[in-house]
Amino acid sequence: MPSLNEQSNLALKRTVIVAIFAAVAVVLSLVESLIPINMSVPGAKLGLANIMVLTCLYFLRARDALMMVLLKTLLTAFIFGTFSSFLFSIMGALFSFAAMWFLLMVGRKRLSAIGISIVGGIAHNIGQLTAASLYFNTTNIFYYLPMLLIMGVLTGIAVGIAVRYLIPSLSKLSLFDGFLTETA
Amino acid sequence: MKRGDILLIGLIVVIAAAFLVPRWLGGDSSEKDHNEKRVANITVDGKLFRTVELTGEEQTIEIKTEFGTNLLKVHDYGIEMIDADCPDKVCLTFGFVERNGGTIVCLPHKLIVEIEGPPGEGDDVDAVVK
Repeated sequence: MPSLNEQSNLALKRTVIVAIFAAVAVVLSLVESLIPINMSVPGAKLGLANIMVLTCLYFLRARDALMMVLLKTLLTAFIFGTFSSFLFSIMGALFSFAAMWFLLMVGRKRLSAIGISIVGGIAHNIGQLTAASLYFNTTNIFYYLPMLLIMGVLTGIAVGIAVRYLIPSLSKLSLFDGFLTETA
Repeated sequence: MKRGDILLIGLIVVIAAAFLVPRWLGGDSSEKDHNEKRVANITVDGKLFRTVELTGEEQTIEIKTEFGTNLLKVHDYGIEMIDADCPDKVCLTFGFVERNGGTIVCLPHKLIVEIEGPPGEGDDVDAVVK
């Protein structure tokens, strides 16, 4: 009986963490849209929400993180966008999630949060460009990919550093007791 | 930061540079063929909306569709999106586009502007006569 109790406790904690992370990610995207920063590269953005996705991948199982990504994308789409822009962001979000999850499985020892967030950001760009090129039936859009790669490295480093600070801080909270993973 | 990170960053920068450097080097030579006419194809929702010749004179094009309004400006043999009533304004960040293959996209309005070389590669003479 106590083990059952513990299990449901763990499941509850997971749900709470997913909800909190998704909410924070939505707020971060809102904040990001308010920052009047001109990246001078179309489609480039800071990707602050990626901080939460990556942290979630470190703490929870892949399916919980996937749930969180879907929630975050849905909520952001409801707040900002239209149906078509939702299709583009979900494409980017899923690409990014898949890439980061794969890297965490394969290269956790070799890559730190910085490397993984760089790949996540770039995968997001590639996913969106692929969606756009399929939608408009043109490959001209990939013209902007090299610039996006450079921007992805810069923003990825920033996001990675944020994650490196966030994970140890969150680990001190009792909510995260059962979820400690070895981090970079 | 681990060694893998540095390798990864180096790899990405090299890939990006491989695409960007030839473009910068080729940029100078494209300056001189300004006399050849280029056109911008404006497509809305998969259908060709309008084709504009990219001239040196200023010219403003308003695109009003069921999806929204965009304001394009042609000048100095290129084209630029100067205003749009879309929610994200990503299309404004594309800036001034003048090269072949240059693109401006406005996702919420299903609009895409693509620059193409002279219409029909073979009939250069006709293009000049025009």
